[in-house]
Formats: sequence, C-alpha cells, structure tokens
Amino acid sequence: MTSKVFSSQANIIECEEITVIRDNKEILCAASCCVPRNSLTFLVGENGTGKTTLVQTMLGILPQREGKISVHSLNREKVNIGYVPQSIEFPKQLQLTVAEYLRYVSNLDTEDIHNSLKTVDFPLSHLRKTINQLSGGQRQKLLLAAELSRKPDILFLDEPLSNVDDTGEKHILDVILEIKNKGVTIILITHDWQMVSTYADHVICLNKNFLCEQGTSCICKNSLSKVNIKQIQKITPDPLNTHDGYCYIENV
Amino acid sequence: MQRALVGAALLAVILGLFGVFMVPRKLSFMADGIAHASLFGIAVGLLVGGMPLLWAIGLAAILGCFLAKISDNESIPMDAVIGICLVGGMSGALITMTFIPGYKPELFSYLFGSILGIEWGDIYILGTLTVVTLVMFKLQWRTLVITTIHNDLSKVLGLKANTAKYFLFIGTSIALIGGVKLLGVILISALLVIPYSSASLIGKSLKSCVILTQIIAVAGTIVGIFISYIFDFPTGPAIGLLLVAIYILSATYAKIRSQPIWKSQHTPSD
Repeated sequence: MTSKVFSSQANIIECEEITVIRDNKEILCAASCCVPRNSLTFLVGENGTGKTTLVQTMLGILPQREGKISVHSLNREKVNIGYVPQSIEFPKQLQLTVAEYLRYVSNLDTEDIHNSLKTVDFPLSHLRKTINQLSGGQRQKLLLAAELSRKPDILFLDEPLSNVDDTGEKHILDVILEIKNKGVTIILITHDWQMVSTYADHVICLNKNFLCEQGTSCICKNSLSKVNIKQIQKITPDPLNTHDGYCYIENV
Repeated sequence: MQRALVGAALLAVILGLFGVFMVPRKLSFMADGIAHASLFGIAVGLLVGGMPLLWAIGLAAILGCFLAKISDNESIPMDAVIGICLVGGMSGALITMTFIPGYKPELFSYLFGSILGIEWGDIYILGTLTVVTLVMFKLQWRTLVITTIHNDLSKVLGLKANTAKYFLFIGTSIALIGGVKLLGVILISALLVIPYSSASLIGKSLKSCVILTQIIAVAGTIVGIFISYIFDFPTGPAIGLLLVAIYILSATYAKIRSQPIWKSQHTPSD
C-alpha cells in the first residue's frame, strides 16, 4: 500500500495502516484513511465491511493489532469526542429516565438539559419518562442530544437516522449541518447514497470484496467533488466487478 | 436480637445496592453461583481448622475476579460459567466434607443461616464492609450506571470501566459471603435479587428504584427477623418468604398500574 503523508493541521484523525481483528477474524487489514478537520465525512460500504469496527477503533473502544491512529488537536487541549451508536439496548430493569440519562452522560443542569433536548426537537414532556418508554426514533434523538450537550470536537454518528421518521430526519440533518458549521468534525456511517452525494465533504469507502481478495487494504481515501460521489453511486449496485473503481477514487 | 437486627440492616443496605446493577445486567444467577461455590471454602476452613468464612471470602473474591475478567468476552456464556462454578464448588465442598471426621453442625448453619450466631465482631466487620462499599459506590456510581447501559459509552467518556466492573463483581461476591451467617448459602441471593427486582416494578426512575430497594431490603430483613422470632420460624426462610411476598405484591401493583383504566385516571394532562 502506498504510504501517504498526512497533515495534522488539515486532518483531525489519521489512521495509518491499521489492522483490526475481531473474534479471530480480520476485519480491517493495513487500512489507512484520514478525516479532514471540520468536515462532514461519510463512512460508506456494504453490510459487514467494517464501518462500525473502524469507528470503534478510532474511538479506542477496539484495539488495533497493527498501525497507528492519531487524533490531532490544534491547541494542547484534549480533543473531546462524542459517539452516537446505531442503537443501545437499554436494560429494561434499569428504570432510567430521560433527565437522569442526560445528567449521567453529560453532567448537565436542568436548563442545559432542556436546551439540548430542544436542539434535537425532543419533546420536553417526555423528560420524566423512562428510556424504555421511548420509541426508537426518540431514543436516537436522546442519544444525539446527550452527545451534543458534551460539546464534542469530533462527533461519530453510526446510522443516526435509521429509526427516525422523515420530519425527524430532516431536523437531525439540519442539526448536523449546523454543528458542523460551528467547527465540529462529523463522521457519519450511512447507507444513504443520496445523502452522501448531497452533503459529503469527504468519503471513506469500505469494500468487503477488496478486503477479502486482496488482503492489503480496504479503505480508499477520497477527496471527492459531488460529481464524483454520484459516479460512486452509479457503480455500487455491482461492486463485485467494480470494486477497484470505487475503492480507489482519489483526489479527483 | 439486637446484633441480628443491626447485622441484617447493614447487609440489606449493601446487597440491595449491588442488586441495583447486578439485576439489570442479568447477573442474578451469579449470586447463587458464588454463594454455593463458596461452600467449598467453608469446607476447607472446617477441615484445616481456620475461620471458614475467611476461606469462603477468599474463594468468592477469586471467583468474582475471574467472572469479571471473562464478562466482556461475548463468546463465553456467563450463565454457563457461573453454573460450572456452582457445581465445582458444591462438589468440592461435599468431597472435602468426607475428610472431616464426626458430625459438623456448623455446616448447617452456613447452609441455612444462623442469625443468633452473629457476634459483635461480625457486626464490626460488616460495618467496615458497609462503609467501604458505600464509599466505593459514591466514587463509581456514574461509571456503574453508564457501563450498565452501554460499555462502549463509558470508554468514549473516559471513565474507568474496569475499576467499576471489578468493584461490582468482587464486591458482590464478598458481600454475599458476608451474609451467609444471616440467610445461609442457599437463601442469600434473595437479598441481592428480590429488593431491586421488586423496586424496578414500582419505581418510576432510577433514583426512586434505589430508594425503594433500600426500603424493601431493610424492612424485609428486619420484619422477617421479627416474624421468625414471634412464630419461631427459621430466620433465613422467614426473610426469604417475606421478600418473595413483597415481589408478588409489587408485580401485582405494576400489572394493575399498566391497565388502561388506571392509566387514563392517572396520566398527567400534558
């Protein structure tokens, strides 16, 4: 794999040839990628290609066997990271209310709790409800509100719109764009190519076939214009024959 | 009687608190596994002539540490491992017993509990254990709540999830053995499991569940001791049955509360 010179000024996260093994299975192999500072970066790929694994490795939840992950701060302060997982299976017997959850995760006072919930259009009347009484979409909004209230520099979102209705989807997208404009770097896992082609600043593609057959690299580094992203969209229905094409579209 | 009441109240407080996290994590069976397996330590203590409970505590701490270590490994089924520990400990205890000559009445007091056997020395040890446990809960509470919800989240928040996990597993194991004199190996899990299970049926928030757990645990043990005193019942089973009755009442109340008629009468207008 060609070695790349990364810029810590331009990139907030850099992964250099990382290999991740999970349950004795190699999920990522000598994979390199970067996340530009203050970008909306999309992480795309078919099911089972290792999108969540890559995010969890960047977050330090999963260890990498080889390679290096660097998170660069512009000042000397530690980079504050937020993470909204695809879903959380809240234990049914832990009768945690919405307000309690926000207090535990973010150490917020009541006023801040209200503000963070308003940001994601979460009904304040549900504040005293237990989380198990919420719908999937409401839980997703709650998780996002909790992470936003922690004022992250980097926010990882694992399919944040999967359980949300159309109105909620539009609202959450607006919130994501708004916080991006405030200087937050966002890494978002999605299967929605329409969204990628409309909003992406940067795309990281993972291709299962490439990983399995070549065993050398699974991530392409892209700095794509919106036109090129649309080209990717066209070829994804047949990735078996075109995986080289959509894994290595670079700096076009 | 005085010693029994103080000891029971202290145990109820700490086991109730551990139950707040063990029950939602689906680790209730661990209480039975650890308590039964610790019988092996008691048997060894009786054989070598040392303090049987110290042997049991040592064994329980090792088992707690081992279970904490494997708890993150999704490929290992926890309930099966706990079951194996239970069988291994009980079998080891019974085999060890064959080497002890004569009749050993102490063994039955460890199996079924002997509240009158509690001495002031035991109370001091329990008191120290309670203070240490409460301090640790104060320090680890947020991490315990968050790791109970989602382990990954605690790592993102930079919390020391492992410290909290080992405290929970080892602390629970030691506390269970601390209660063996009160309820016995067979019934001690009742104090860990039933108070929070009942409270979570009635409570409307984590805070209210924790308060209710403490009330149920302390009231259940103290009233249970009085019932056993008045009716001359064995203490452990009296407390156990009372806690089961509280659970049934809580479940009935929760069922009634979930009915549409009740809901329509009590839902706030917002």
